[in-house]
Amino acid sequence: MKKIIISMAAIAAMLFASTAFATVKVGVLSDLTGPTSSVGVPYAQGIKDCVAYVNANGGIDGDQIELIQVDYAYNVQQALSAYKRFKSAGIIALQGWGTGDTEALVRFVKRDKIPVFSASYSAHLMNPANAPYNFTIAPDYSTQGRAGLKYIKDSWKEARAPRIAFVYPDKPYGHTPLPAMKEYAKELGFEVTGDETLDLKAMDATPQILGLKKHKADFVWVGGTTPSTAVLMKDSKKLGFTGKFLVNIWGNDENLAKMAGPACEGNLGIQAASVYGQDVPGMKMIEAETKGEPQMTHYMRGFVSTMVMVEGMKKAKANGELNGEGIKNALETMRDYDPMGLAPAISYYPEDHRPSMAVNICTVKDGKLEFLETVSLDRDDKWLGK
Amino acid sequence: MLKCGLFFTSYNKEDQLFPSMFQKTCLGLFLVAMLIAPQVLDFYYISVMNLIMIAVIGAVSLNLLTGVCGQMSLGHGAFVGVGAYGCAVLAAKGVPFVLCLLGGGALAAVAGMFFGIPSLRLKGIYLAISTLAAQMILEYVFLHWSAFTGGANGMPVDPPSIMGFSFDSDERMFYLIFAVTVLCVLGVSNIIRSRSGRAFVAIRDFYQSAENVGVNLFQFKLQAFATSSFMAGIAGGLWAYYTMYITPEQFSISLSISYLAMIIIGGMGSVTGAIFGAVFITLLPEVLNTATSLVGSFAPDISALMAPLKEGIFGLTLVLFLIFEPEGLVRKWKMIKAYWKLYPFAY
Repeated sequence: MKKIIISMAAIAAMLFASTAFATVKVGVLSDLTGPTSSVGVPYAQGIKDCVAYVNANGGIDGDQIELIQVDYAYNVQQALSAYKRFKSAGIIALQGWGTGDTEALVRFVKRDKIPVFSASYSAHLMNPANAPYNFTIAPDYSTQGRAGLKYIKDSWKEARAPRIAFVYPDKPYGHTPLPAMKEYAKELGFEVTGDETLDLKAMDATPQILGLKKHKADFVWVGGTTPSTAVLMKDSKKLGFTGKFLVNIWGNDENLAKMAGPACEGNLGIQAASVYGQDVPGMKMIEAETKGEPQMTHYMRGFVSTMVMVEGMKKAKANGELNGEGIKNALETMRDYDPMGLAPAISYYPEDHRPSMAVNICTVKDGKLEFLETVSLDRDDKWLGK
Repeated sequence: MLKCGLFFTSYNKEDQLFPSMFQKTCLGLFLVAMLIAPQVLDFYYISVMNLIMIAVIGAVSLNLLTGVCGQMSLGHGAFVGVGAYGCAVLAAKGVPFVLCLLGGGALAAVAGMFFGIPSLRLKGIYLAISTLAAQMILEYVFLHWSAFTGGANGMPVDPPSIMGFSFDSDERMFYLIFAVTVLCVLGVSNIIRSRSGRAFVAIRDFYQSAENVGVNLFQFKLQAFATSSFMAGIAGGLWAYYTMYITPEQFSISLSISYLAMIIIGGMGSVTGAIFGAVFITLLPEVLNTATSLVGSFAPDISALMAPLKEGIFGLTLVLFLIFEPEGLVRKWKMIKAYWKLYPFAY
């Protein structure tokens, strides 16, 4: 009898233990080796570090998060098979990455009811009518651009209308926010003077700078990545172009100063998360997690993306439905969730997945990325998905 | 005593696609295995098989143009894209699946023929540059012709359905893609055996001799471009239906290079080689990812170092193939077959 009781107690203990240490699986689709790996690696590290932090601090109310990471090298086909691998492993949420793969997976994740947090900020991914299981922690590229324009216009002191030109790669990523930005620029009273295209792998931007000089642009929105932005800024300095650059989220990070040197000083950049060392409540946690080793702003976004996902999971668990659909439903009730100041407060609505309308404006000062101001726009329905 | 090897007593027997009973039995078993596969395999493996089969159609079609007819193409990925967009647009207009697929293929064939016109005057590296231009122009069209392609935002595509039966899962799509792949592979195999196929080979081997024996170079080169692009369009259509969302990024130059790598690694001019190449190139990243994950499970630090190595391994594999087996995987396959056929009297 005693043996039976001991055996039953042991089985009960094991069952209890398995419940206590249950895991929730999350897929991480990363570009560690492909064309965007310079920003993909820190972003993925941010995700991993956040999960380590969450697991060490109680997990999802007791449940540990298990990450399954696949490097898809920014190849849509590999992303597709990676997604199937994740699904086969039983993930309930996905941390995704780029525009091509996120868009290719939109209908799969909708069918499989798996919420995705991606680092692709295409406006149409913010509209749940098209992409009900897609979430981001940064506003769409169009909103980011509009906020940048508003910042410029608010700080413009001259009597005449400011002139703005646009430089971007002839790729989907470069084109996505253009119509929205041009429309808003005209609405704000800008004079839109022209466009130049600059390849992401450009080694020289002389023709573009000569074009910008011809356009007499006071400001130039740059929709490239860090290397092409650095080339543009260096050539701008060399050729004496006096306009100021407003660089989008992927062209403006800690590497810009290393690549462009003094040429990038004082220009403006758009960001969606805080800069390492910024005076916000969550920075202590980041500094502890990274042992004081400075990280890129993309790392911060990866971290915040995971924080928001975890918050959604906690809510879903509290609602008794810790699964893909439950997480989506929980996220859609999220209102003004503050990721400890690491990014502007986040809200999702069933009919609007824009996380916020607030965008951080940064600059480069003495070779370092520096936060300037957070610009907030109204959550205007007419902008949703555009 | 039985003789080693195959000995044909008529031309018809020699001309069969599968001349031996052993081959026919193996093929039958393979078909049965493929039909059972979706019922027993996990959907990850089914998905990988779907991707392989779409790649097989693309590689076999490029092989017809480049391996068989000798017309270098760096624009195959874009022709796949033309098929995908053609299919997606027709599907959005409510056209039935079969017509969409054929329509996408036809559109790609027209594009292929148009960009194949310079092939009369250009060959080798010059034709490669000309087809590279086709790739760039078509990519530009995918991005900028928003009214047709959805531009930067791309296009959603609903799962295909035939007479009310929707192919809305990996398993169902598997059977559909498999059927189309079999048709395409059989089609190319038979084209190669036909008068056109022999003309293609003659053009590849020496265009002047081909012309001297009455091969109309312009007609047959265009025919090669049209047939190859048609099947590329079919591959694109299946891709669009399978992924359910297409964007210009999916049909970039890297896709064209992948197809070229498939036929080089598999073996130029051989249908079996193109199939081997498609399987190899599609599986390689999966195998490398699995290896990285396995290593990562017991040595996370080494795993972090392995990730950047993956690209190197991919490139190294290509280089090693070109150095040590320029005739591709199909050559290895033939050697293995010959070994078993002639065993134990190989010499």
